[in-house]
Amino acid sequence: MNKKNQLSYKQALEELEKIVDEIENGEIDVDLLAEKVKRATFLSQICKSKLKKTQEELDKLLSEIEKEDIKQEETESEPSL
Amino acid sequence: MSDRMIASQFISLYDLCVLIREVVGDNFPEYIWVVAEIASIKENQNGHCYLELVDKNEEKVIAQARATIWAYNYRSLAHKFEKATGETLKRGMKILFSAQVQYHEVYGLSLNIRDIDPTYSTGEMARKKRETVERLLREGLLELNKSLLLPLVPQRIAIISSPTAAGYGDFMTHLQENSYGYRFSLSLFQALMQGEEASFSIIAALQKIKKQIDLFDLVVIIRGGGSQIDLSCFDDYELSAGIARFPLPVVTGIGHERDDTVVDMVAHTKKKTPTAVAEFIISGVRLFETQIEDLQNSIIRYSDRLLENSRYSLQENLNTLNHVLKNILSYSFSKHQLLVIRFCLASRKNFSDHQNRLSLVLQKVNAVFWQKFQEAKNKYFLLEQSIYHFNPVNLMKRGFSVARINGNLLTSIKQAKSGQTITTQLLDGLILSKVEDES
Repeated sequence: MNKKNQLSYKQALEELEKIVDEIENGEIDVDLLAEKVKRATFLSQICKSKLKKTQEELDKLLSEIEKEDIKQEETESEPSL
Repeated sequence: MSDRMIASQFISLYDLCVLIREVVGDNFPEYIWVVAEIASIKENQNGHCYLELVDKNEEKVIAQARATIWAYNYRSLAHKFEKATGETLKRGMKILFSAQVQYHEVYGLSLNIRDIDPTYSTGEMARKKRETVERLLREGLLELNKSLLLPLVPQRIAIISSPTAAGYGDFMTHLQENSYGYRFSLSLFQALMQGEEASFSIIAALQKIKKQIDLFDLVVIIRGGGSQIDLSCFDDYELSAGIARFPLPVVTGIGHERDDTVVDMVAHTKKKTPTAVAEFIISGVRLFETQIEDLQNSIIRYSDRLLENSRYSLQENLNTLNHVLKNILSYSFSKHQLLVIRFCLASRKNFSDHQNRLSLVLQKVNAVFWQKFQEAKNKYFLLEQSIYHFNPVNLMKRGFSVARINGNLLTSIKQAKSGQTITTQLLDGLILSKVEDES
């Protein structure tokens, strides 16, 4: 199975539910809110893509996201060098 | 006498067979009702039906006979039977039929079937089905597949069907062209969907799927449209048990109108048609998507609320701050104003104080001045009076005169000697006098 696909629907759903709970209960600091909303959007986008895209399309999409992540990580880790 | 003696009395096989035919014919002149199980059945080109009938005692054949249904009879009988039972006449089926026993010299014993009572078979099938269901129940299999959770997203579907079945095409089209744009991974596992081999064929397909079970979320068994008969394969115990024990949920769409088959009963979910199965799958995916959308909306809503709350409390704080500042300011202001007023008042008071003081001083000064002035005036007056009084002229006018002796002012009698001349000055002239005596 595709490694990146290991984020299953179930995991995504559970994580989304957790985020909703946290925000609903006001456990989240407003400072962290943007981060959480971003994560939630990412999760639901991935889920929806998985529903509607073929495996090849999905792999492509995921590899793009992966590239972005790596880029981001690289830029993020630069200052520490 | 020898064993080898050729019997003088014998008949030909033909004569024997004729004899048998006559005996049979004489003894079974009428049609009689018989119950038997069909061991095999086939229809030839002419439409005649040939059957092997058996009677079993615990699976062991204890009687066997051939039977025929002539074409002109077969068509109507088969039709009547199918209509009543929903099944075609086939192997394994028990039938109650009316037949004439016939013996043919070449073909032997045969039963010529004239009528079949389908109600017997119906009852028999129902009994068999009931027994199968009871067995499955007893073995805990009836609800086993139902106890599996449906996949969160049924997207990878293993299909057991016949590629030529109309229902299969409908199913594929329905899934592939769903209005939501969901993508499905669909794998067909071919199987016969009717007839004697169907049960075995479907079990084989299930086994194939089981070997690659990780690739699938759901199994569907579909069989479309077509014939409404010949579904007894779906009442088969082995097949039903296989489905019940299958580790993935099995959804059926066998496409029939009659009572549920046993396969329908053991399946996780039973739908009437392949299209309905497709709808069910799509609705499952849709449900998930809705869930995701709802969660996302909740996140947006709660985030808004959170932000709104924060904004509100910020505003609240700002308001409080504002209020406090205003209070401070207004306090300061009023204090300032008070100061100004006080200053003004004070200044005014000061001023008037000063003024008062000034006027008091002025009054005082005035008074003093006037006093001094008066004093001075009096002094001057006195002085003037003194001056007036001491003026010799005025003195002389009042009678005083200045006496001199020898040019000196005469102030004592000791100065005067007899005979001396004293000069007395008056205002209007001098008097000269001679001293006569001293006293």
